[in-house]
Amino acid sequence: MTPQPFWNPKTELLPRDELRALQLAKLRRLAEWAQARSPHYRRTFAAAGFSADQLRTWADIERIPFLTREEWMASQEAHPPYGELPVTGPENAIRVHTTSGTSGRTPLRALDSRKDWSWAAEMWCYALWAAGVRSHDVGYVAFGYGSFIGFWGLHNGLEKIGALTVPGGAQGTPQRVKQIIDFGATVVASTPTYALRLAQEAESMGIDLRGSAVHTVILSGEPAGSIPETKALIEERWGAKAYDTAGMTEVSTIFMFEPAEQPGGCHIIEDHFIEQVIDPETGCELGYGERGERVCTSFGRSTTPLLRYRTADMVVKVPASRASSGRTWDLYEGGILGRVDDMKLVRGTNVYPGAIEAIVRGYGGIEEFQVRIERRGERDEILLVLETAPTMGDDAWAALARTIGVELADAHEGLRFLLERAAAGELPRFELKAKRLTDLRPVNGVAR
Amino acid sequence: MNTDLLNRPQTVQEREIVELYERLRALLRDDLPPCAAANLRTALTAVAIVVTDLGLRFEHLLDEGV
Repeated sequence: MTPQPFWNPKTELLPRDELRALQLAKLRRLAEWAQARSPHYRRTFAAAGFSADQLRTWADIERIPFLTREEWMASQEAHPPYGELPVTGPENAIRVHTTSGTSGRTPLRALDSRKDWSWAAEMWCYALWAAGVRSHDVGYVAFGYGSFIGFWGLHNGLEKIGALTVPGGAQGTPQRVKQIIDFGATVVASTPTYALRLAQEAESMGIDLRGSAVHTVILSGEPAGSIPETKALIEERWGAKAYDTAGMTEVSTIFMFEPAEQPGGCHIIEDHFIEQVIDPETGCELGYGERGERVCTSFGRSTTPLLRYRTADMVVKVPASRASSGRTWDLYEGGILGRVDDMKLVRGTNVYPGAIEAIVRGYGGIEEFQVRIERRGERDEILLVLETAPTMGDDAWAALARTIGVELADAHEGLRFLLERAAAGELPRFELKAKRLTDLRPVNGVAR
Repeated sequence: MNTDLLNRPQTVQEREIVELYERLRALLRDDLPPCAAANLRTALTAVAIVVTDLGLRFEHLLDEGV
């Protein structure tokens, strides 16, 4: 058999003009499906004066009204439990999943049919195959297997490829480390934060993961998978290559993956998605290289069509030519860069959690960190609380704090961060999406 | 229809895959014992993914329980 670097060479190598034609053909059918069967889309299309038969050229996509998370949630609350987006009730579905709920909001609930669920696994196959995962691999899924969609699709994708799949649910971190070693896992899937947590735990157990069979770590669930400093740290601690992916419950799976050559970004799976980048203020589409909000149209989920969904993810799209594999699919440079709403203003300076993480992860000896923004008297202060390796002495800590403080100030227009040291094990650890920034400033005079 | 979604002629392999897809859909219209219906739906699910990936067909199959 000829070694095959692409999961689906027919579409991964499709010339751009043909790819656009394929997307447009699918978009027409999806819009017809949504208009005919979803009460929500029937209403919003009519309100926008849009009808599926107006989709004649690529530019006509702009006629489709945006869908927001708030609309979806409002529909779910008005018509519980699933709202009016789905084209069917639960009688035609085989799965229900939810968002993680880590934001504190009511989780979003989504239904999947047999085909939807198989398609979700299929999207993971594109990513796994591109990262070099094959049937001879042993995949370990370090994930809790609850109603949060998380790595369910990856699990099924590993099975579809034919890899031996080890479900690592319902156990603690030490047990997972032991299983990774005992089963001879070659591929491990987790969030970036949890990949580091597993490495820390292995170290405390006297296990050097660099000497294990693991050659690949598949990351998802947090933007950190594409922060070079975080990824480098994961690769160093595991002695393995780390590949970023990103997905969301709203589509049931991933929409982008980092290919083997690691070109500094992730390919969009463009035969199954249309991804647009817009100015979040004006809603106008932006060009290559411009930072904006990701808008997703997904072809795969029949139960809950997704057209022009405003994700609030910040991205920069770059052309396919940035990568060298021959894939014609565009990329998101640096993966997901953050959220539209995660920028904080501290004494007039913009602060992004991802930028802080990029600096912190550039230093060795830091086990975990938290950022707190507080109002002290009349003044806003930003605190960086660092938990260092227990072996770090006071002098080394003082030098580290000084250096990081200078780098943070340089990166934030001179804004001075207050640095504090936490005791070993004091800061929270995360298995799913990490929450490391807390804004404790009162809103309209009321403490949060 | 012997073309794909881009109106290009299907290869011999692709034609066979589409025939298999249509045959499974037709079979599922029959009154089948539960073991046959459930497993053929699973089979149709898999083939539906193939025809979509290869750009041969794109349609949702909720009415067929898929």
